[in-house]
Amino acid sequence: MTTGTAAITTTELVRRSIEGRRFSPVNALIAFTLLFTLLSSVVILVTLLVDTIAAALPVFATRGFSFITSSLSPRAEAAGIWQGIMGSLALTGFVIAVAFPLGVAAAVYLEEYAPDNRLTRFLNANIRNLAGVPSIVYGILGLFLFVEVFMRGMLGASEGIAGRNVVAGGLTLAVLVLPIMIITTSEALRAVPSGLREASLAVGATRWETIRHHVLPVAVPAILTGSVLTIARAFGESAPLLLAGAQLSLFFTVASDSSFYDLMLTQPYTALPIIVFNFARQPQAEFVALTAASIVVLLVMLLSVNAAAVLARDRYERRYR
Amino acid sequence: MKSRTIHLLGLAVVTAMVVAACDIDAGDSTPSTGAAADTTEAAPDTTEPMEEPTTSAGGGEGGDLSGNIVVSGSSTVEPITARVGEAFDGANPGVATSVEGPGTGDGFARFCAGETDISDASRPISEEEIATCEGAGVEYVELHIATDGLTVMTNPANEAVTCLAYSDLYALLGPESEGFASWSDANELAGELGAPNAPYPEEPLVITAPGEESGTYDSFVELVIADISEERLGEDNDFTRADYNASANDNVIVQGITENPTSLGWVGFAFFEENQAALKAIEVDSGDSGCVAPTTESIASFEYPLSRPLFIYVKTNDVASRPDLTAFVDFYLSDDGLAFVSEAGYVQIPGEDIEATRAAWEDAKG
Repeated sequence: MTTGTAAITTTELVRRSIEGRRFSPVNALIAFTLLFTLLSSVVILVTLLVDTIAAALPVFATRGFSFITSSLSPRAEAAGIWQGIMGSLALTGFVIAVAFPLGVAAAVYLEEYAPDNRLTRFLNANIRNLAGVPSIVYGILGLFLFVEVFMRGMLGASEGIAGRNVVAGGLTLAVLVLPIMIITTSEALRAVPSGLREASLAVGATRWETIRHHVLPVAVPAILTGSVLTIARAFGESAPLLLAGAQLSLFFTVASDSSFYDLMLTQPYTALPIIVFNFARQPQAEFVALTAASIVVLLVMLLSVNAAAVLARDRYERRYR
Repeated sequence: MKSRTIHLLGLAVVTAMVVAACDIDAGDSTPSTGAAADTTEAAPDTTEPMEEPTTSAGGGEGGDLSGNIVVSGSSTVEPITARVGEAFDGANPGVATSVEGPGTGDGFARFCAGETDISDASRPISEEEIATCEGAGVEYVELHIATDGLTVMTNPANEAVTCLAYSDLYALLGPESEGFASWSDANELAGELGAPNAPYPEEPLVITAPGEESGTYDSFVELVIADISEERLGEDNDFTRADYNASANDNVIVQGITENPTSLGWVGFAFFEENQAALKAIEVDSGDSGCVAPTTESIASFEYPLSRPLFIYVKTNDVASRPDLTAFVDFYLSDDGLAFVSEAGYVQIPGEDIEATRAAWEDAKG
């Protein structure tokens, strides 16, 4: 009798849990908590955005694009962020030119060539650790290695800005994102099915031919996405640049007859995040609005970079299929 | 196979990215677009071309001057020098000027390392800094360009406090008041000092003030704390209590004061003036002239006891061969240049002081 009932109940339970909508309080609670955490982070983000954009609107309404195209000025009504935009783009150029090839090459070596021995494991562990080092530490490294040793020591730049140039800043940011670049590329390569490599090797392709014709093309979308997001991170960095010599300044100019070479090596520069920081510490209320407006410009630029990453990925994925 | 085209495309995108980046860099360059082809500048020694000013235009605003003027130092003085720099640049587009404000101490560190041409300072150069400059062979001239009043302030809601003497400030902010969480905690110490405005209210004491890297901190310690601490604790005790919210950002200080009804702190006069509605300046009593409130007049006349001079220090080593630097300082000390002092929120120095400053500069420039 009892066993019979139990048997029925068990069967019934299994049947219900398969087809029915059984109400479980624990389940509901967990679902609710998860939804709540999601909503609260969204609410915080939206509040921040709305707050910033609301504060920035008057600037764009009264100044329009002249806010973007003007140079820095201690007078709030004339101050603009053009120098910061240009500086940030130049820095990003260095990050792409240095960190992208180095990072991809290092990752290809680590994933495709390096034997699985102690040294490789040691290197891998260290790259992961380096990716977690706070950016300000890279600023100290940049100040010492690129400004002191490289620019002043090796190139003898002791006058004017004394080696605190955009090349030193760009190299600092490149070194900062290099470990992240290696890690994201490694992940992308690891996601390529090993059957592809084996098939290629089985028909007599060399290792490099396999990588060049089969592994990299499959991994390109993921590599591009990872790289662009990494570069976007460099674009938004301020702390290392403060140390490596970006101008924390309300006013600076470059000589009007500067060549490209001068701009890279002997002339001061700044970056958009640095301008945000500097505007935020000015006494006048007008600069508070300018801070918000600069943040909006920074966000728009970052979002377009990220959108470009998504587009590039979609394009490549389609082509591969 | 498809992989070949994909590989080629990948390469093309990477190349495009790098080229685009280089293009952007080139866009940064004002005069030339195909800048990389400029072979004349390709010599490895990058700094030399900047050092040789092409024309000498005497002391006036030549307009065709060139050079690279680097200014660093006090964030208090920065707004004045930045305005001067901006106006100077309008007339001299060939001169690259950069003005930064990391703090007086940091500024002198760079100045005495020979990295900067002008150091903004909200206090006179210290003994140690003089020694560093001497060691590095940096010669300079000190030029008094404006006056600032350290403004001791609280929240407008704090009606109990209107005036504080040096001894009051020492009791509340000095090295011996570490741990005082309420104004009234300072009563006993204030009694010992004979502070005239004790006892204080039994309200929380929340202090927000500049940090030690700031010349504004140094000035406060020197003017208010140092004499009393030396008498009571001996030499080398000239610092404030360490347990307060220190910030290099004057807006954070102003915010700290407005957010708490019984707050206490100090900033430069310009910051107080910009935020007058949200702050209440506390009158200061030096002991001989009674309570004085900080106003443009009382600061200019040094009647307000926490008035302090603001300086620029100009490197004079190569002043003879630097018409750009000479023209910049000439313009700074002209009536037009000094007019930016009040625009930046500080107090103009009286006529005879201006004459003294100009004389010192004429002397230094030789």
